[in-house]
This record gives sequence, structure tokens and C-alpha cells, in this order.
Amino acid sequence: MTRRVVITGLGPVSSIGIGVRPFCESLRVGRNGTAPITSFDTTGFPYVMAGEVPDFDPKGLLQRLLPEEWGRTSQFAAAAARLAVEDAGISEELLEPARAGSSIGTTGGESQVLEGLTYDALSVGLGGVDTALVRQVPSSRLALAVNRELGLTGDAVTLSTACSASNYALGYAFDQIRTGEMDYMIAGGADSVGRWSHAGFYRLGALTQHACSPFDKDRSGILTGEGGAALFLESLESAQARGARIYGELLGYGLNCDAHHMVAPDPTSIAECIRLAQRNAGIEPSQVDYICAHGTGTQANDVGEARAVIEVFGEKPPPISSTKSMLGHTMGAASGFGAISSVLGIHESFLPPTINFSSIDPEIPQIDPVPNRAREAEVRVAQVHGFAFGGNNAIVILGRLT
Amino acid sequence: MSVSTEPAPSGVHTGVLAVTGWSVLSSVGVGADEFAASVQSGESRPADVSTMFEEPLPRPDAHALVDFKVRDHLGRKGTSFFDRSTALAIVTGKLAIADTDLVISDENRRRIGITLGTTAGSVRSTSDYSRETFVQSRPYLVNPLLFPNAVMNCAAGQAAIWFGLKGVNATIAGGQLAGLNVLRYGRNLISCGYADALLIGAVEEFSPHVSWATHFSMQAGGGNTATGEGAAVFVVEDAGAVRAAGRTPEAEILAAEVGSFTPTGELTALSDGLTSLIRRALTRAGVDAGDVWGVATAENGILDLDAVEDRAVVAVLGTGPERIRVKQLVGECHSVTGGFQLAYVLARHRADPALDGRVSVLTSRSSDGAVGVAVVRGYRRERGHHGE
Repeated sequence: MTRRVVITGLGPVSSIGIGVRPFCESLRVGRNGTAPITSFDTTGFPYVMAGEVPDFDPKGLLQRLLPEEWGRTSQFAAAAARLAVEDAGISEELLEPARAGSSIGTTGGESQVLEGLTYDALSVGLGGVDTALVRQVPSSRLALAVNRELGLTGDAVTLSTACSASNYALGYAFDQIRTGEMDYMIAGGADSVGRWSHAGFYRLGALTQHACSPFDKDRSGILTGEGGAALFLESLESAQARGARIYGELLGYGLNCDAHHMVAPDPTSIAECIRLAQRNAGIEPSQVDYICAHGTGTQANDVGEARAVIEVFGEKPPPISSTKSMLGHTMGAASGFGAISSVLGIHESFLPPTINFSSIDPEIPQIDPVPNRAREAEVRVAQVHGFAFGGNNAIVILGRLT
Repeated sequence: MSVSTEPAPSGVHTGVLAVTGWSVLSSVGVGADEFAASVQSGESRPADVSTMFEEPLPRPDAHALVDFKVRDHLGRKGTSFFDRSTALAIVTGKLAIADTDLVISDENRRRIGITLGTTAGSVRSTSDYSRETFVQSRPYLVNPLLFPNAVMNCAAGQAAIWFGLKGVNATIAGGQLAGLNVLRYGRNLISCGYADALLIGAVEEFSPHVSWATHFSMQAGGGNTATGEGAAVFVVEDAGAVRAAGRTPEAEILAAEVGSFTPTGELTALSDGLTSLIRRALTRAGVDAGDVWGVATAENGILDLDAVEDRAVVAVLGTGPERIRVKQLVGECHSVTGGFQLAYVLARHRADPALDGRVSVLTSRSSDGAVGVAVVRGYRRERGHHGE
């Protein structure tokens, strides 16, 4: 049994908009969602910018979960899922008794909770911390938060494959529906800003001071970000039967592993992952109209990613832009936001921009990063990149329904 | 546009995973044979861990690998920055590869991947990273070389490098359910053709952090199980492909089902959910309840959660099958519990010819509302170790 899989609901909880309309408008105008950090004390940190979601109101968004029982990342995941279901327009009566579940990607899981406990333990010891917070640490709670918020009884899988995890989650959800194992899946990712990752990226030399400017000749690194990204997936027959708006189709995905270095990307392996994803999706490179880049804004990533793209597509690759220029690097949610942005581009015929862009890195003159403003364009097939520590490459291919 | 959504089909896929080799690192044994011997004797006593760490522990004993040192197994080269989780996973993976007749070469390493389960990665590594930002003279004075250790996919990524496996590399934060999650995820990867073989399993390290977390949950739930640690790794392939190649599986994973139910009140919804999952798994496996010789559960002395499993198991399988409470042997091992459940039943199959071809069931549950079940058919191992 093989079914076509379509995306009928989107739930972004991000620094550039909560809910699909505000998020889409921000993509179109190229809004910058980064600002000085407020979720932790930045005293002593040389760089203080990140893509936080200060307007996040879990109480207002969640209908079932009590926010105080869940860490911030689980709240992001559940709120994004709630928004995606509302956007899909599916009723509780249809969804809850169905075979339905979730797959949620993450880098740090509830590391913000663990960080708080670590701070508390400095004064009261590990044995003196709030045990209710200890119960919030397991990362499995991200997907369970989604299922419990929505009353779903199927798979609740938290994929912790770091910064490509949303693409893993989308792939798993795609297979669950394609093979008939599940009828509805929520897929995406969530992460929270924290001191540990801010410090780690700074010390790796991968953090930038002011703005993330992928593919720019003067780029100097990432800004960390946070949020929740969720997509509602169902079979084409299901979407048509209930008269749902179809944003696009998930055509396939590819996963591979560099098996070479924990941190440095491997262009040859990335090129191989692109070919795998395209083969699995049954498309040719020439069919791809847009690439939503991993595009972190570091020296190593952007050149490596561009070289891999050129190896597969030749000297005239399709436009390739990075939503991280707007959102910061939302870690496990990043490729989820990439997928939401791409499917909006497919549905509304535009290319999301790379903001903070001045001039192209002369090492990669073939790259068209869609500088600074969205561009009107037909997008029939989009390719979403996600790469991660551990050489965990994951690429998802989306298409306009034909 | 003509679009095929069928990834790389090979033609012989059955949807059933074959286990062609495995290993464990546990407090009761290093490697499958030692573990199997401990399973036969049934004896286990937690070790004295009071001198393992500077931080105070809630109790002086744990089912920990007190003397484990990565260099004893892998040497010093390239291992000095491994955290305990990564070290446990790689050592176990190496033993599992030695236990299978699958030969890894440059011809197939792109088609062989890794899927590991965890609770929250190496909690100690992540917590220590946060800790440095609070206690150093400047908050950014963390060690960049240790940064990947603070991220949950470290063990799987390092294992891929160590073994040169370029296929799908995944980490699933399943906590108690991780063993069942990786079986289900692995089955999907192989039956859909994304990989030909996988090292699947889980790892959980003993640390003061995990020790206190176990203690708090035992205290709240009326249990007294000590914390455990270790890793379990299984080499899995498509059962049809294994048989077509004239090889013999050591076990077949006939079903792996998971679900979630809101854990309120007496946990009735959770128990009823698990009951329905066990029924569904048996149906999908084509197995009658009366054919099940054993049930390995995640029971750990926490009364209401143990009752969830007990009610569901008895409702579907009665009281006939042998009940295997693996945590009595290895302690509360969180995400690696499911791996030890599977290892336990496979150890029994290695030792007892009367079980050849018979079926066992693995169940699990979490306080957060996840439940799961696997159905396993085990065989008497006909060959010796790889290379013999």
C-alpha cells in the first residue's frame, strides 16, 4: 500500500510570527526576528543576540496541557501542533479516534529545564532540586506533549538528531502515512535558547555578533534561535475527502551520515544525500525550483553546502535561501521552519529571502540567495536541507500537488 | 510530472526485522555470553558506587559498570573525549558487530546505519556544559571540544565515525520506550528500503544526575529499584533478505507497536491502551496468545505503573507465560531497558533449545503516558561466533 502524502496544516511558533499568516507575511518582507537575549542573563557573554520568541503565550495557545507541567520546548512543540491542526481545519471528532501520532525533532530537548536544575544544584545540591522539574527533563516529552495536547493515541516519537531533526521527523511521518500505518501525523521540531548552546557555539567560533548573513562574503556565523514548527500530514485521499486546503505534497526524503567528523560538514556526503533524496522522491535535479538551505551563516557550512549543490545541479543551481537569516538557528526546529517556508512558497508562489545580505561570497558566485526580499516565482518542487552535528544529513523534497 | 514515492525497493522485504547478532554492556555481563550466563543464574547485586563520583548520591549502590574504562576496550587513540554514553555505545556496537555474520565492507557501508535510543543524551555532559557557564570566570569558557557531547546524537554520530557507517544515523529520545521506538523506527527504515542493515539499540549512563532522577521517581512511586546503566546493540536486517541469502536469523521482530494515552487517576486509560496494543501486535504478528512463552516487562516496583503493565499482560496473555522483570537483574536503566528486555529473551533462546521458534512479548510504559509492545520470535543459534 502506497499513498501520496500531502501537507494541509502549518503551525509556526517563531520569532517572526506565531501562526501561519504572520509567519508568511514576515517571510515575504524579510523580517529579522533576532534581538538581545532576554531568557537568560547575558552578563559576561561578548555576544548577546538570539532569535527568541518573547511573545510566546503557552496558556493562550494550549487547550489541554497545563504549561506549568511542561518544559518550554514541549510547550513550543504542543503549541505548534495545536496551530497546525487548527490550520488544517480538521475536527476533534475526526482526529482523535483516528490512527494519528507525532514525530518531533530536537537538538537540546528540555535542556533549558536541565540548565535551570543545574543552576539550582549549585546551591542546594542535586538532591535538593525541585523534583517536579526533574520529571520534565526526558526529551520523549516533546512528542508526548503533542499527542496529549491533541488527544492522539498513535506514535509519539522524539527524534533527537540535532539540527536536522525536523527533516527526520517529516520523513518518518511521511512513511507512516504513505505505508498506511497512520492516517494523520504531526511532524516538525522544537528547541529553546539556552546558555549552554550559546556558549558552545561561541567557543566553536561559530557564533556571530550582530546578524546572521548566510552566503554573504562577510558572514561570520550563526545566531541561536528557538521555537516550534509543526506540519499536519495526511494522505491525498483523506485531504480530498474532507475538502482540505492542500499546501503541497511531500515527495520523499533522503538520510545519510558523513561518518567523518562530528562538527565539520562534508560536501561530498551532502551531495550524496541530495541525490538520495531526489531519487527517493522520483525527481531530477532540473525539476527543483527552490532550495531552502541549511544556510547557517558559518564559513564552513555555506561554502560546503554551496559546493554540494553545485556538484549536483551544475553551474546554474536553483535559487537557494536561508530562513536562518531571519529566525536564527532554531536547531531541531530549523528544517521544520524550512519546510513550512518552502510549502508556503509552493502554495503562494514566492521564494523566501536571505536577509542581512550585501554581496556574494566570491568562492561561490553561482549561488542566488534571494537577497533581502521575497521574490515572486513559481515553485513546483522545493528541496529542504538539514545538516547536523554527527554528520546527520537529512533532505526533504516537497512539491506542488499535480 | 511522474512521481514515484517508493524509495529503492529491493523486492524481498517482508516488514519483519531479523536480528543477526547482538551484544550488551551491563552490570551483569559484558557481551552476549556473559549476559546470557547471568540470565541463567538469575543473580544480580548492585555494586558499591559510593566512590565513583565527587557529588553525593542518593544511595551507595547501583547496577553500574564501576570499573568500565573505554581505553580497556577501544584503546586510547581517539577515545579521550568520549563521554560515558558514547563509550558504552561504541564498545557494545563493536561486540555486536563481532557477534553477527553480516560483513561490513566498503561495498555496503552506505547502506548500513545506526539508530540509538536515549532519554536525554548524556545528561551529565549537557548539565556540566551549563554548569561551566555559571562557575567559570567568564560564562563562555566552556570546552569547545566537548560541545558535541552535550548534544543528544553524540553517541550515534561518534559510532558512525568509529565503524565507518554512512547509512541513516538516527537518535530517538524515547526514554522508557526507546527500545520499542528503535525497533519500530528501524523496521520502517529497512522495510521501506532506506537501509539494508542497522545497528539499533540504546545507551544510558550512570551519573549522579540520573541516580537522583531515579531516586525521585522511586520515592514518589513507592519503588526501591537501584539505578542501572549500560548499552544494548542489535544488528538487524530484513528477515526475507537474510533468509534469501541462506543465512539464519537469531530472532525476528514480528511486530512493534507504540501509542500514547493520558496518564490520569488510576492510569486506566494507559492500561487499556497497552491492552489494545498487545492485541494489535499479536494480530499483526499472526501469533496466538497461547503461543507466547514469556513476557519481559519494564516493571520496576513503582506500583501504579507496574499495575498498568500487569493488568494489560494478564488481560491478553493470562498468567501462563513466564514473567521476566529484567530490572531486577540490571536495575532501572531508563532508555536501555527495552534493549535489555530483548537481550534477556534472546539469551534464553541461546541457552534453551526447547524455546526454538517460540514467541515472546516485550512491553513498556512511561509515567508520561507512552506504552509499547514488541513480539519476538527467537531461534536456537545454529552458528558460532562470527569468524568461527
